[in-house]
Amino acid sequence: MNKAHVELKDASKAVLRKVNHNRVKTQILSNLDLRIERGELVTIMGASGSGKTTLLRLINRLSEADSGVIMLNGGDIRDYAPIELRRKVGMVFQLPVMFKGSVRDNIAFGMKLWGDTIDLEALAEACGISENLLDVDAEQLSVGEKQRVCIARALANQPDVLLLDEPTSSLDAKSAEKIEELLLKLRMEKNLTVLWVTHEKEQAERIGGRRLVLKDGRLEEYHA
Amino acid sequence: MPEVLAIALTVLLVVLTAAFAQRFGIGKEVSLAGTRALVQILILASLILLLFKLPLYWSFIVLLAMAAIAGHTTYSRSGKLERGLPLAIVSIAATSVLLLIPFFLLSIFPFEARYVIPTGSILIGNAMNVSSLAIDRYRGEIKNRRAEVEAYLALGAQPKLAASACLKQGILSALIPSIDNMKNLGLVWIPGVMTGMLLGGADPMEAASIQIAIFTSIFAAGMIASSLLLHYSTDSFFTKAAQLREEMD
Repeated sequence: MNKAHVELKDASKAVLRKVNHNRVKTQILSNLDLRIERGELVTIMGASGSGKTTLLRLINRLSEADSGVIMLNGGDIRDYAPIELRRKVGMVFQLPVMFKGSVRDNIAFGMKLWGDTIDLEALAEACGISENLLDVDAEQLSVGEKQRVCIARALANQPDVLLLDEPTSSLDAKSAEKIEELLLKLRMEKNLTVLWVTHEKEQAERIGGRRLVLKDGRLEEYHA
Repeated sequence: MPEVLAIALTVLLVVLTAAFAQRFGIGKEVSLAGTRALVQILILASLILLLFKLPLYWSFIVLLAMAAIAGHTTYSRSGKLERGLPLAIVSIAATSVLLLIPFFLLSIFPFEARYVIPTGSILIGNAMNVSSLAIDRYRGEIKNRRAEVEAYLALGAQPKLAASACLKQGILSALIPSIDNMKNLGLVWIPGVMTGMLLGGADPMEAASIQIAIFTSIFAAGMIASSLLLHYSTDSFFTKAAQLREEMD
């Protein structure tokens, strides 16, 4: 059997939630299994608080699983240096966060970090960021533009896997559609493995790929 | 006789301010703090009297004890960070001693307990105040800017880089009162050392020169101690796998 690109085996995670000033342990993911092949697109749906974001955070180790194993290219992610793992597994968050500086500074962040050279202008163009925006203060952009910069910033690290945590939920319908198209185009061009979290069934149907639903801490196949 | 009157005035003021503070619900706190301050300062005066007669190394032992108490205060303010206590004590003690040395090397003060203890305690006290404010603000910044810190981590940044903007803000916020004090020195207030020297009959130029040297040392002590503390405490906010700790949520 071929090695999966990303695989979760028996992964569980509980988080502490504040209830009436007390912290209560809540089980979010329970003995979850997931296998994703290289270049595959998987859409994860589920209600708010069902653990969709937690699932993504476990894969690039922003959070730690309580039990089970998470593998990348057949190796336990705990055997990778966290910094190196996050370079291979990029993540785009629900709310775009800009770093201090220009759009160019933001996109070039990974390049400076890793000492790589990429064609920044070409990447910006591929992400729908026009050249005259490159030297603008990133904080001045609209939410949709900021999200494009976040996508470009994540792709500048040249990841193999892209985790998308409701990347269009803070956008209006038109901007959301454009970002959707952009992400699907980039996925094809760069042969990325994509795990896309969304709470909209319509979006999941538009995106395509393998559709799963996270319910009671486990993943189920989605049937329209 | 003046000392008895001064203590009587203090007691009267503590009682009056505590009675007034009662309107804001902090009467008990004010009376306790005032009484504590009075008792502590009298104990300190007796201790200094004793230290004048003891070998000089005793003065440094007392300063180290002060730094330990200062470190503990700052540590409590940090939310009891892992490794926070030794870090706070070492950063406050090392910085204060480092900035104390030039006063005696340059013979600004004679190398005697009478000068070592008060100058050292001013440096320690200010290093503690600035460090406490800085670590409290640093913690708050990391908590409030969690999304930004995690955006850095998700791109592969090390925790120190991810938290660098929070660290800068922590130090800046803690230093604002000191910067404002420095800007207004002599304009809206005459600081303690100069006031004391003038009351003791010293020449105003001599009092001013010593005051400004002490003032800039105090500023430097606060800045260096808080920078050291924040820099070395950054890792305590993160796990070994470069994850922001869950209690920071």
